Amino acid sequence: MNTDPSNFSRRDFLSKSLAGAGAGLVLGAPGILRAANQSTGSDAIHIALIGFGKQGGVLFDCLKNIPGLHFQAVCDIAKTRQDGFRSSSRGHPGATSTNFYTDIDDMLSKEKGLDAAIVATPDFWHSPHTVKCLEAGLHVYCEKMMSNTIEGARAMVHAMDKSGKLCQIGHQRRSNPRYRYTFNKLINGQKICGQIVNANAQWNRSLKASQGISSKIKISDDVLKQYGFKNIDQFLNWRLYRDLSGGPISDLGAHQIDIFNWFLGTTPKRVYASGGRSHFKEREHFDNVMCIFDYDTPQGEVRAFYQVLTTTSYGGGFHESFMGTEASIKISEIASSSAIYREDAAPSWDGLVDKGYLIRKPAPPKPAPSADAVASYESAAPEIFDLPGGFGKPAHQPHLENFFDAVRGKGKLNCDARHAFESEAPIFWVNPSALSQQPIDFTSEHLSV
Amino acid sequence: MSKECCSETAKESSAGSSGESCCPTNTLAFVYGSLLLRLWLGVRAIQTGVEKFAGTMTSEQVVPVGGVPNEEGLTAGGALKHYALENYHGVPAALMKKFEAEPLMMKFALPLYDKILGPALIILGLTILLGLAYRSSLFLLGLLYISLTWGLILIKQDDGVSWIAAHMILVVMALALAQYNRLAILKKW
Repeated sequence: MNTDPSNFSRRDFLSKSLAGAGAGLVLGAPGILRAANQSTGSDAIHIALIGFGKQGGVLFDCLKNIPGLHFQAVCDIAKTRQDGFRSSSRGHPGATSTNFYTDIDDMLSKEKGLDAAIVATPDFWHSPHTVKCLEAGLHVYCEKMMSNTIEGARAMVHAMDKSGKLCQIGHQRRSNPRYRYTFNKLINGQKICGQIVNANAQWNRSLKASQGISSKIKISDDVLKQYGFKNIDQFLNWRLYRDLSGGPISDLGAHQIDIFNWFLGTTPKRVYASGGRSHFKEREHFDNVMCIFDYDTPQGEVRAFYQVLTTTSYGGGFHESFMGTEASIKISEIASSSAIYREDAAPSWDGLVDKGYLIRKPAPPKPAPSADAVASYESAAPEIFDLPGGFGKPAHQPHLENFFDAVRGKGKLNCDARHAFESEAPIFWVNPSALSQQPIDFTSEHLSV
Repeated sequence: MSKECCSETAKESSAGSSGESCCPTNTLAFVYGSLLLRLWLGVRAIQTGVEKFAGTMTSEQVVPVGGVPNEEGLTAGGALKHYALENYHGVPAALMKKFEAEPLMMKFALPLYDKILGPALIILGLTILLGLAYRSSLFLLGLLYISLTWGLILIKQDDGVSWIAAHMILVVMALALAQYNRLAILKKW
């Protein structure tokens, strides 16, 4: 779009604004006006937001930055969230004539000319809502996890295939430039890890951050029941209930287990899991889960360990690590939690640094020799490197941009429903493995669409 | 103050004590003081209004790798500040939500206030800076600060109230020194 705010720099503004000495800032107003987003033009994409809770708000904060979107409709069973949308969208030219609904069927029957829907409802509604929108002829961006059941996820893939419409699943790391660079350039291109033999990922969250949500929001019991909630607590804390979500392993783990499957280029052959209610005794889901996935990759076998802990933040929050014979890559959506470690026996990376593939980070100070160290058993400290750049956008924005580029015919989806299903299918079997305390050997029945 | 200084009584008193008139020096000081206050309040109001159009945009400078720009879109820098109409927020979004939840806040007036706050600050800043209806502009700016104070009291932002109180003191000082205002385009009002 020619209205991209990125084309309008501070210098441009000031040069136009300071045309006159004393009244320069008044004269600058036309310069400001030119930067307005033409979100209602003929090339605008007309979208509906299905679900405007916390995650809906996160996505909207990204959508606001994408030129050419017209927010035609918002649908949420909580009427008070309409005020939240109005407040968040104030001044946005694409949200001046938004229609509000509490029922998706009502919205789909009344709204004409919609191009796409953004689904950010609770997990157990993802599949019904996505299927409805696809069948109505809309392209869909749906938050992960695809569904709380594998059958629901399968239905989404089938609906996508049948409708011929686009369906992107919100595994936003797949469009993150740092992740894409790491996968394309470093792991596949330069093969800097050598043979990847282990992977490791975690999402450790403190008790404080894992508390249930409370709110003064009011929805009648009849409406709650109509939409599958027994009470307002289920509406607010649906992530804690077995019938409504997959629990922490799917809420938090899905993003990172997806990276295992993406970077290793295959799906696992087995999962062993263990979990329990270590602190939140009354919750239906396990509050702590650990699991190991076994992979057979073209390079050889890989074991991938994943843990999600909602009772402690120790261990550095959330990140994924890929450990190879020549290097290990630790990557996270938080750039400062990421690094690349070269094994001492690996070939020199001076050439890669010279060409700009990597940036060498300063070596940490050597620890003082201690009496209890057994030098012959210790490996030399690896050299530490970093990616040559980052990106200054909210984490979900590149994935949404990829979706709208595909809607405009300018690219392919980075995570369509079929690829997302391949990646999510093993996750559906973590809780069953933990509950039965048995490993599960995957067959096509477990993993196929 | 100056009138007292220049009155016969003051002249007598001044001559009696030091033998020198206080009027020329003190008047110049008041003129300078008035000008400084005018500049400060004008610039403060204008830039506060302009900042309401500020937002951030990301660096578009793609990092070269192996001599060519990387296809994945890694960029060199972080977010850059820029100004645009679409960035405009008279009342910051975080505060807006708090105001909307206040029972004493008139809901119909809030969007209107949000729309006019930025332009009002810019216009009043300019009239103060240029000396257009200087005293009335100061009075209106004071009223604007009072309205901000009321909102901040509602949401218990005591630091903000104190901060605006400092501005109010400067407005009152500027009004007190208004008779020494020079280089004004329109002295009336």
